Amino acid sequence: MARKIMICRCEDVTLADLEHCVTRGYKDIEEVKRYTGFGTGPCQGKECLAPMATHLARLTMVEPAKIRPFTSRPPLAPTPIKILARAPDAHRFDDDPGDE
Amino acid sequence: MPRRLPSFDAARGPALEVRIADSSVRAYADESIAAAAIAAGARVLSRSLKYHRPRTFFCLEGHCSGCLVRLGGVPNLRACQAPCSAGAEIEGQNAFPSAEVDLLGAVDFLFSRGLDHHTLMTGSSMLNRLANKVVRQLSGLGKLPAHAATQLPDVAERSIDVCVIGAGPAGLAAALACAQAGRSTLLVDDQLRPGGSMRADPRASATTQMGTGRERAELALAQAIKAGVSVLSRATAIGFFPEDDDGVLAVAAPEQLHRVKARAWIWATGGYPVNLPFTDNDRPGVIAARAVGRLLVDHGILGGDKVCVVEVPEVADDAAVLAQALGAAGADVVRVPLAQALGARGRSWVTAVDTSNGRVDCDLVAVAAIPSPASEGPRQQGCKVTLDPARGGFLVVVDDRGRTSTAGVWACGDVTGYIGPARAADDGARVGANVAGSL
Repeated sequence: MARKIMICRCEDVTLADLEHCVTRGYKDIEEVKRYTGFGTGPCQGKECLAPMATHLARLTMVEPAKIRPFTSRPPLAPTPIKILARAPDAHRFDDDPGDE
Repeated sequence: MPRRLPSFDAARGPALEVRIADSSVRAYADESIAAAAIAAGARVLSRSLKYHRPRTFFCLEGHCSGCLVRLGGVPNLRACQAPCSAGAEIEGQNAFPSAEVDLLGAVDFLFSRGLDHHTLMTGSSMLNRLANKVVRQLSGLGKLPAHAATQLPDVAERSIDVCVIGAGPAGLAAALACAQAGRSTLLVDDQLRPGGSMRADPRASATTQMGTGRERAELALAQAIKAGVSVLSRATAIGFFPEDDDGVLAVAAPEQLHRVKARAWIWATGGYPVNLPFTDNDRPGVIAARAVGRLLVDHGILGGDKVCVVEVPEVADDAAVLAQALGAAGADVVRVPLAQALGARGRSWVTAVDTSNGRVDCDLVAVAAIPSPASEGPRQQGCKVTLDPARGGFLVVVDDRGRTSTAGVWACGDVTGYIGPARAADDGARVGANVAGSL
C-alpha cells in the first residue's frame, strides 16, 4: 500500500485529495462532495462527513459552526430494492400510466 | 491473532459451520458472520473502489463499508449485520483473483500520489478516453445477485404515539419511560441485537451488579418489552417522507418495509465510530476502539495479542477502560495519543504503529475517536444541527427538555453530542418522560 491518509474509505478520498480540492477553489462541503466523491459510497458519509467537515474548517479557516452538512437523502442505509417494490406511491402525477 | 475467550463459552449459542472463501469455519448461532470470520483469522474481505486497497472490518455496527461481502449469492451485504446460519456461504468481492491477492492493487502504487479522476491523462484526448474506459471496468461494487428476488415483501403500516429510533442506552431508556407512561411506543433498531454502545462497553456496573454491558443491554431490552414497548430489530430507518400522509418514516427490515406514523419522534441513534488521520489509517487491522470493545464484551473474542490504542484526549476515559479490559483478557496494550501516531505499518494486516517515540509492534490497532452523531435522520425531519468537532461532528441541537428545532421531534443521547453510554441512559429516561408528558 502506498502511503495515504484516508478520510473516506468507501470512495478512497484522502486528506491530500481534500487539500488539492481546496486549492482548486472548491471550499463548500457540497462542492467538495461533488469534486472528490466523498460521502457517496455505501456508508453515505456516516464515517467521513464529520472528519471531512472538520478538516475543511481547518483548511479554509472557517468557524466549524458555519459549516453545514451535505443534504441527507433516503435511503439512509443500503437497502435491497425488493423491500421498496410494493411501497405505495406517495405521489401520483397526471401522466402516470397507473398500475393496471 | 484474535482468539475466543474460554470464559465466554457458556454464553455462546449452538456451534455450527459456515463457509468463508471456500474454507469451513466454526461459528456460533448468536453471533454475526463478521465475528465468526474475525475469530477464524479472516483478514482481507474486499478491495476499495479506486485504489483497490485491502478492506475489512472497521465499525462492526453496520455503518461503514468495510465488511461488504457476497453472502449466498447476494452482493454487498454487511458481514457484521448478518447472523450466522448453518451452511452460510461467504465470498469476498471486488478483487481479482481474490481479496487477499488482488492484482488490481497495482493501481494504488501506480497512483501513489493520488488519482484525479477529473483529469485522467488529459494530456491526450485519446489516452484520456482509454483511461476512462479502463477505470469504468475496474470500478463498481460487487457483481449482480445470482438469482432474482422470488417474493416481493408486503408493506406494514404502523401508527403509534411515540417512535424511538435507536435501541442503545438512550433509546431503550426513552422507550421504557414512554411505555411506562402509557404511550404506545415503537422502538426501531438496526443491529442484530438491541443494546447499541452498551454491548461494546467493558465497564462493570457498580450500582446494579449487572456485570458487563452485554448483560445490561439484555436487561434493559427485557424491561422495555415487559413495559409494552414494541421492538423492531434489524430494522433501519431509511428515510422520512414529510409529504406522504403528513409524515411517514420508512423502516426497512430484512423482509419487510414498515411505514411508521407517530405523534412524537425520538432520535436516539447515537454516534458512528470514525477513523483518525494518520498514514495508512485504512490498513486492515486498524479498527474502531468500540468494535474492539464489542468483540470482547458481546462476542467473547480478544481481537489481538498486542493492541495499540490510538486515541484523542476527549475519549481518554473510554480508552482507559478498554485498555484495562483488554489487559485483563490477556493482551499487551499500548496507548498512543493521535498527536504522536505517525502511521500504520504492515501489508495485508497491521504489524506496527510508528510513533514519534519509536515503533510500537502490534497485531491490532484500536482507534479511539469521538463518535460522530448519527444525525442524518433528524436532518431529514428538518432538525437543526451544528458542527462541533469536540463533540464528534454534526450534532442535533436540543433545548433543555430534549426538543429539537422541529415540532414533535426530540433527541437524546450521543446524537446530541457525545456523552457516553452511562450518561446516555439517564438522558434517554429524562427525555422519554418529557415526551410522554407532552402528548
